Amino acid sequence: MIFAMWDEVMFYLGPIPVDHIIVTEWLVIVFIGVIAYLATRNMQIVPRGLQNLFESLVIWTYDFFSQVIEKENAARKWAPLLSTFFIFILVCNLSGLIPGAAHIGGFQPPTSNWNVTMTLALITFFAVHVSGIMENKLHYFAHFISPSPLMLPLNLVEEVARPLSLTIRLFGNIFGKEVVLGFLLFLAPFFLPAIFLALAVLLSVIQAVVFTMLSASYIGASTSGGH
Amino acid sequence: MKRNKWVYLSVLLLTTVLVMGFATFCMAAGDASAPVEAPRGMPPAFGNLYVIGWTAVNFFILLAILYKFAYNPINNMMEQRTNSIESNLRHAEEVRTEVEQMRKEAQTNLSESRKEAQDIVAKSTKAAENVKNEMIAKANEEAASIKNKAHAEIVAATEQAKMELRDSAVTLAIIAAERVLSRAITSDDHKKMVREFIDEAGDLLC
Repeated sequence: MIFAMWDEVMFYLGPIPVDHIIVTEWLVIVFIGVIAYLATRNMQIVPRGLQNLFESLVIWTYDFFSQVIEKENAARKWAPLLSTFFIFILVCNLSGLIPGAAHIGGFQPPTSNWNVTMTLALITFFAVHVSGIMENKLHYFAHFISPSPLMLPLNLVEEVARPLSLTIRLFGNIFGKEVVLGFLLFLAPFFLPAIFLALAVLLSVIQAVVFTMLSASYIGASTSGGH
Repeated sequence: MKRNKWVYLSVLLLTTVLVMGFATFCMAAGDASAPVEAPRGMPPAFGNLYVIGWTAVNFFILLAILYKFAYNPINNMMEQRTNSIESNLRHAEEVRTEVEQMRKEAQTNLSESRKEAQDIVAKSTKAAENVKNEMIAKANEEAASIKNKAHAEIVAATEQAKMELRDSAVTLAIIAAERVLSRAITSDDHKKMVREFIDEAGDLLC
């Protein structure tokens, strides 16, 4: 049952199929957008309430990534992307804890699908190379043959391994969390899943932090030239 | 968090190009329908290009939404807050400088006032001293004048008293002589006797 609608087409938008998971992504985007709108519609010099919460989140992510990315201008440039990664992945991860997730049509936790995590990893992959080229111009490509041209194959493998590891790490954790939660709910519907739910919240936050922190460190390494 | 649309657009473009390229490759291999329809009850199929494409588009839509409703307003608010804080600090510095200047001015004024007060006190003391000396001198003069006047009056009174006493003595002497002698005395005797009497009486009186 928990895998029932994981990869199913819910409806077609013209010739393009729309999976249940894509509908969940839209809902997540609408949720984040509404929160962002409500938080920033009436900005005050002294923040309070939702504005305070959202500002703290954005500023915390910015400060966090600024520590990882050495160059100040690069940190400023890529912080919005990384903050969006964090917020999107966090909400997607936590969406699996809402009752009915993976059971109601159009409500599948997006990060439990490796196509979604792979997309995010691919965006990181391209962001890393774009940032490297922007900061170091053609010197950026020198890192492929660093410290010796003999290392070129290994460096290329590393470039491929990074998005792959990002994909599988996030997918594996969230997929595993969903599976375990599903089985626990099936085996013992009361009390026992509550303990695991707390761990699931922690896991969701940690995985969002890990994905964004690794992305930030890859971008930081490519912009600093010491790849 | 500067606006950098072109950077993100380039990343979106590269992701889209890769996804579309991968999709074309899969379709050319004749397996286009496989990633779309996964069998029920199975884990998600890897390489569902529609999910990948949609996710990429959705992510960048979310990025645009957050730019519009979060990053830009928060960035603007941060700049506004920074400007406000800087302005307040600048104003506080100006006020501090102004207060410092006013304090210095007040200190200077106070010193000048003290000096002026001391001058005034010194002048007043000196004037009072002068007045006192003048008054003492005047009093001394007046006292000397009164003393001299009194002395002169005493001398005059003494002379007057002497004269009156001489006249009385003359009259008494004449009466006494008339009584003693009981005779008429000529004018010359009279005058001679008077003169002698006066001389004797004057010697006795003085």
